[in-house]
Amino acid sequence: MLISLWNSFRGTRVGRSIFRVGLPQSNLERAQVAISSFFLHFQPAKVNRRSLKFRTTLGLGLISLYLFLILVATGVLLMFYYVPATDYAYQNMKDLEFVVTAGQVLRNMHRWAAHLMVLFVALHMCRAFYTAAYKPPREFNWVVGVSLFLLTLGLSFTGYLLPWDQLAYWAITVGTSIAGYAPLVGQKLKFLFLGGHVVGESALIRFYVLHVIVLPLAAVMLIALHLWRVRKDGGLARPGESEPTRVDMPQVPATKTYGLMELARGTTPAVGINPEDEVFTWPNVVFREILLLMVTIAVVLVLAIFWNAPLEEIANPVHPPNPAKAPWYFLGLQELVAYSAFWGGVVVPGLLVTALIALPYLDRRPKGVGVWFSGERKVALTLFSLCLSAAVILTVIGTAFRGPNWSFQLPWKPVHVEEATH
Amino acid sequence: MDTSLRKLYPWFTLLGLLIGGLVIAAFYKDQHREWKDWQRQYIKDEMARAATPEQKADASRIPVEVRQIVLSDLDRVDRCTSCHVSVEDPSYAGFPLPRSYHPNHDRHPFNKFGCTICHQGQGRATTREAAHGRVEHWDQPMLDLQYIQSACGKCHLPGDVPEAPHLARGRAVFEESGCIGCHKLHGVGGVVGPELDSVGAHRGPAWLLKHFKNPATVTPGSAMPPIKATDADLDALTLYVLSFTGEPLSAYYVSMKTIPGPLAGRRLFEEKGCIGCHSVAGKGGKVGPALDEVAKRHNGEWISSHFRNPSAVSPGTVMPQFNFNEQEVRALTEFLLSMSDTNIVGFMNIPSLMTSVERGKAVYKKYGCAGCHAANGQGGVPNPNAKTAEQVPGLKFVSEGYTKDELRKRIMDGQKEIPVMDPKRPAAPLYMPAWRGKIAEGELNDLMDFLVSLTPKGEKADF
Repeated sequence: MLISLWNSFRGTRVGRSIFRVGLPQSNLERAQVAISSFFLHFQPAKVNRRSLKFRTTLGLGLISLYLFLILVATGVLLMFYYVPATDYAYQNMKDLEFVVTAGQVLRNMHRWAAHLMVLFVALHMCRAFYTAAYKPPREFNWVVGVSLFLLTLGLSFTGYLLPWDQLAYWAITVGTSIAGYAPLVGQKLKFLFLGGHVVGESALIRFYVLHVIVLPLAAVMLIALHLWRVRKDGGLARPGESEPTRVDMPQVPATKTYGLMELARGTTPAVGINPEDEVFTWPNVVFREILLLMVTIAVVLVLAIFWNAPLEEIANPVHPPNPAKAPWYFLGLQELVAYSAFWGGVVVPGLLVTALIALPYLDRRPKGVGVWFSGERKVALTLFSLCLSAAVILTVIGTAFRGPNWSFQLPWKPVHVEEATH
Repeated sequence: MDTSLRKLYPWFTLLGLLIGGLVIAAFYKDQHREWKDWQRQYIKDEMARAATPEQKADASRIPVEVRQIVLSDLDRVDRCTSCHVSVEDPSYAGFPLPRSYHPNHDRHPFNKFGCTICHQGQGRATTREAAHGRVEHWDQPMLDLQYIQSACGKCHLPGDVPEAPHLARGRAVFEESGCIGCHKLHGVGGVVGPELDSVGAHRGPAWLLKHFKNPATVTPGSAMPPIKATDADLDALTLYVLSFTGEPLSAYYVSMKTIPGPLAGRRLFEEKGCIGCHSVAGKGGKVGPALDEVAKRHNGEWISSHFRNPSAVSPGTVMPQFNFNEQEVRALTEFLLSMSDTNIVGFMNIPSLMTSVERGKAVYKKYGCAGCHAANGQGGVPNPNAKTAEQVPGLKFVSEGYTKDELRKRIMDGQKEIPVMDPKRPAAPLYMPAWRGKIAEGELNDLMDFLVSLTPKGEKADF
């Protein structure tokens, strides 16, 4: 019934002006849907049958994208209520909780989706590593992905300050002081971000502008680039892909004119594919994508209904909590900083980011592409797993096992220290 | 269509229903608020009370909505009336909470004061627990009614509020105990302990009481001696200290600070130095008329006009115009009208009418010397590891140990390093703060006269 309703709408003048292709009946139309729709043409008309299998990617990248979309939607709604001024920010949180229709659910969704996004972007990166999806010709898309991971951290971190409660204030104070450990530029950088030496009014407005304009715009553009490159680099990494061939621009006289086909270069989906293995994107891929979107929305809703986003006392610059902790994804760093500010706060994270960016250019052997934990990449797998385990363990220690004065404690036996002074 | 897609259809249906259900659940949870129940109850009451059809129609039109008092001057939004709907309606007197009427608010109208300025709690909240502030992460839970008089002290001077005797008592205990000797309040006092300007905003009554009885139990390592007073006095002291919230007041509220009454009038009378020209009970200046029986000569109206502009009612008078605000004019008038009440006049402490020893005793009290040296200079407050028998020394024989100049130097410069008994133990925690720049020259002279007067006649210290 829905279909006939849609068909009759699509039959009208208005309907035809909006939708360039009707509900596809033939293979030609199935291809046209993907190619001629603005929102679907990021994907090719046909994809490898393997892309439909859940275990190929576990849907991690798509989930990250969906979480980003949920964050944009809820974030825009929250902007209607939020005033980035220290006199109002915290009161806005209270108003959202107590008098704005569905305000608390909205904030909960935004908060939990943000945490989930950090988690899923990280998992997506692990997936890309463990299936060797960063190898040629996808090196640059891996670099774009690493940038997106850093952007995600930046988005989450800038958003963390906005509620202007004790949690926010001290997490940002700790987080930015880690940045201050960088040699030469550290203090300048910290001053640039905070607009002062301590977190205050100017830090709030800077973080707000970064959080709602600068970083989301950058993220949207990089996400677009990331998705487009997935298609241009030959779809999802799969075993048995033919060796990528790079065709350089032909050296020809400048006076010559070209047809479009002559200019197309590099690896395209048409390279080395077997028609038997290809299925149409519409409806096979699109339907599964919508299903995953529904699952993501449902999970975020459940979290938002049953668990409230934290909100502590209003920010109090003279009353630090003990211990003051950065957001959870920086607690591994804070743990390292507790051993050595310079090594933990500068050298290790600097090396890690550099290594992540350089990875596809160092590890170029086309071995194990598209295969989980391929036996041909023992060294790479071991090194990455060691770093990952270290990061996870440090984060867990920093989150759960650190009590007052950053002393070791068991999470089920928290240490309480009476404040010695007023 | 691909048959493999068919098996996805049940999932679409299931997830569609699940998301729909979750959205409904989220809105239900959001819309179901306890204040709505109280407002419906209120509307039901009003409907039942309505005598005429018009009244019934009016009652049925009462909206169910968040009610709030927005106090931008005080940076507060009080939504308490969302549940406490009928606080302003005297016909609800005696009703059970939250629907009961709040008596005695004529001088503090709700639309100007709201609720939380006195009662504390979380004004923006709309659930019972959160609004009463008895939740995690809220510093100011509702004030126990036992301590409610402390709220008066946030704006008014303790002695000025006749309805708050505990507050006045608390202030007296505070002064007698010499808290100012170590702690600073409104810029006056020692630096041995922390400032007290906003201590009431982040400490609760239970903490304060424990702190007074045995400071070290709640503040480890504290050198503060326990305050020796009856339980009732400690309660009053707690109540008074709770009033130190350090909350800034805007002009409107400042103008209301003086409560027009004989007590505030007397305070103004002392502060403004009226006694310099006028006399009471035969003491004071002779420039203006004696004021003992001014009430027999003039009515209140005349006296008030005289305060507003003396020459308007007494042409040719030399009395200056003081620019009192209306509250102050009323207070002074009330005081003058009550002059014939010997109880009030008898208690007057007008510095220029006192001996230097009497004034010195007031100075001793004002700067909290009693906190360490005890009320009459007996000393005896423990100061572990101090060479002086691990106690703060007494002052009774100070006139024999020091010349006046040495004494002056000692008070002005203090003594930061206290000689210790045993160099291996931690240094003595209490020390003599320097009072230079804090104490006025005249006060210092009076104080020294008082200290000298402590030495008992004919007794000798056994140095």
